Amino acid sequence: MKNLVCTPIRGWRDRVFAAATLFFVAAFVVFVLVLIVTDVFYINAKAVITVLTSRFIRHALWMSIWTTFATTLIALLFAVPMGYALSRFRFPGRLLADTLVDLPVVFPPLIVGLTLLVFFSQTSLGKWIQEDLGLEFVFQPKGIVLCQFLAAASLAIRSAKAAFDSVDRRHEDVALTLGCTQWGSFRRVCLPLARNGIVAGGILTWARAFGLFGPLMIFVGSFRGRTEVLSTTIFLEQSVGNLEVALAIALLLILMALVAITIIRLLGGSVL
Amino acid sequence: MIRTEQLAFRIGTFALQHLNIEVAAGQYFILLGPPGSGKTLFLECLCGLKKIDSGKTFIDGRDVTYLEPRARHIGYVPQDYALFPHLSVEQNIGFGLRARRYPRPERSRRERQDIASKVTEIADLLGIRYLMPRRIDGLSGGERQRVALARALILCPKVLLLDEPVCALDEFTRQDVCAQLLRIQRQLGLTTIHVSHNLEEAFSVADRAAILYQGAVQQDGSLDELLRRPNTEFVARFMRCENIYSAELIGTSAHGCRARVKHGIEVNVPGRHQGKIKFVIRPEDVLVFPRSSHNPKCENEFAAHLVRWRDCGGYIRLELDGPLSMIAHVTHAAFAGLKTDSDKGVNVALPLSSIHVLRQ
Repeated sequence: MKNLVCTPIRGWRDRVFAAATLFFVAAFVVFVLVLIVTDVFYINAKAVITVLTSRFIRHALWMSIWTTFATTLIALLFAVPMGYALSRFRFPGRLLADTLVDLPVVFPPLIVGLTLLVFFSQTSLGKWIQEDLGLEFVFQPKGIVLCQFLAAASLAIRSAKAAFDSVDRRHEDVALTLGCTQWGSFRRVCLPLARNGIVAGGILTWARAFGLFGPLMIFVGSFRGRTEVLSTTIFLEQSVGNLEVALAIALLLILMALVAITIIRLLGGSVL
Repeated sequence: MIRTEQLAFRIGTFALQHLNIEVAAGQYFILLGPPGSGKTLFLECLCGLKKIDSGKTFIDGRDVTYLEPRARHIGYVPQDYALFPHLSVEQNIGFGLRARRYPRPERSRRERQDIASKVTEIADLLGIRYLMPRRIDGLSGGERQRVALARALILCPKVLLLDEPVCALDEFTRQDVCAQLLRIQRQLGLTTIHVSHNLEEAFSVADRAAILYQGAVQQDGSLDELLRRPNTEFVARFMRCENIYSAELIGTSAHGCRARVKHGIEVNVPGRHQGKIKFVIRPEDVLVFPRSSHNPKCENEFAAHLVRWRDCGGYIRLELDGPLSMIAHVTHAAFAGLKTDSDKGVNVALPLSSIHVLRQ
């Protein structure tokens, strides 16, 4: 939000140019708003009451909230040290690691579900984890977190790296001369300066995890009252013809996404 | 005291080349050099922020080569100060005390009071007490510089390293801050290395200086030595001596050698030399007088004409052409007395005592 520079309009050519750019802004905004308003007018009071009173939808909402928060926490736990390492250290395989971080953002999320399913059901290591260690993921709530983590953690890592990149190295150097250890300069200087970017990355991760659908359907399925989350509920409701209810749930998702993006804007995160 | 022995560090194609620098206790030493000469890198090596390839570093007689930055007890003010933007001025100044858990490990009320009183003390010393509750964002360049200095001084270091501490300031503030730096350095008896590319800065603070170029020390000594007796052409040019001539020795004279410069002009130079030489004379040492007069005491006298002149405030800069092109600085009074004729002819003399032959 800071460093906003307003370009002055100095004549008719500037006005035409500004109008041309603003036309695209207006077209996009109007299109998205029309879609949301269409949804609002399509649903009825009965659908809203169903969403508010259904035990299964409440369970799905709760499941969505706790799994996405768990995913975000785990993603941040990886993102902070990974972002710092990728930003500050040069090590063998850094390019490979940097590329792999971006991979889940590039390929279709469905592949995450398929890959996880194959790993845990077809490989001996996967079977050993599931059967011998007792860490069951396939068609289990734990699997939702794993799936969301794999599909969304890249956003947190990428944001954390960008945030650490933007912290001037000399701040840490000065902290070292003032008596800090490497850990101390990280904790007292680097982390607070990168905080906004890290938080913004966390919110993006949460938003991505919240809306995840395809890989969950493959890896954990959508069992009512067990592995169902809001995004899969929308699919289930519309597949049985409850389009109003599906749209009411969709509006709930849109509302939560708007809240998340607004928080990012208020934090001044540079990732969006 | 700071001493480096054969300090070497390589980064990419650039290298600090076996630097031997010694700064006596309580001395204000300025390291001069053009941008990219390795000055900042040298300070970072002294701080322990860069792991040197070879050589040794001594601070206060103690070998600190393998010590971590925090164990070297150095006050370091980097270029642009690197103040912590997420902390207030007071928190910035007290950062070192908190990082070192001064004076005791536990976080008590008394500890907080001790830190606060120490921060106030150092802020008073630098005259920035009024800034204490402010954020870093709103500070001016001079205020930032003093906050960074206070932050470095609060741990009572014996050695202070300043990386271009006034380069971002305007001319007036720069002189003011330089005077304050010198006052504090003298008051606290700090051994100081100040890095700069600015010659005026050096003259306003330094006891001794060295010139660094492409990672190697070209010359060190007093500023007068660097000014009057440069070792190399680079040092001479850096010290703004524009009159540098190549010559060939043709014989000896009563007080030195006779050398032939271009166009057959012969000049007496001091000392005994052989073969080809380069000599310099500072613009302010060139004597310029009207064509009609003559200086019987000066051996190297020849006619020249004035190409152009510029009033530089304290002196007039003359560009002279003739058998030898040269720059001369004269006072306003001397310039008024020149009374040049229509072709702007003057006589120029190069006193033997002012000519310095460069080491080849």
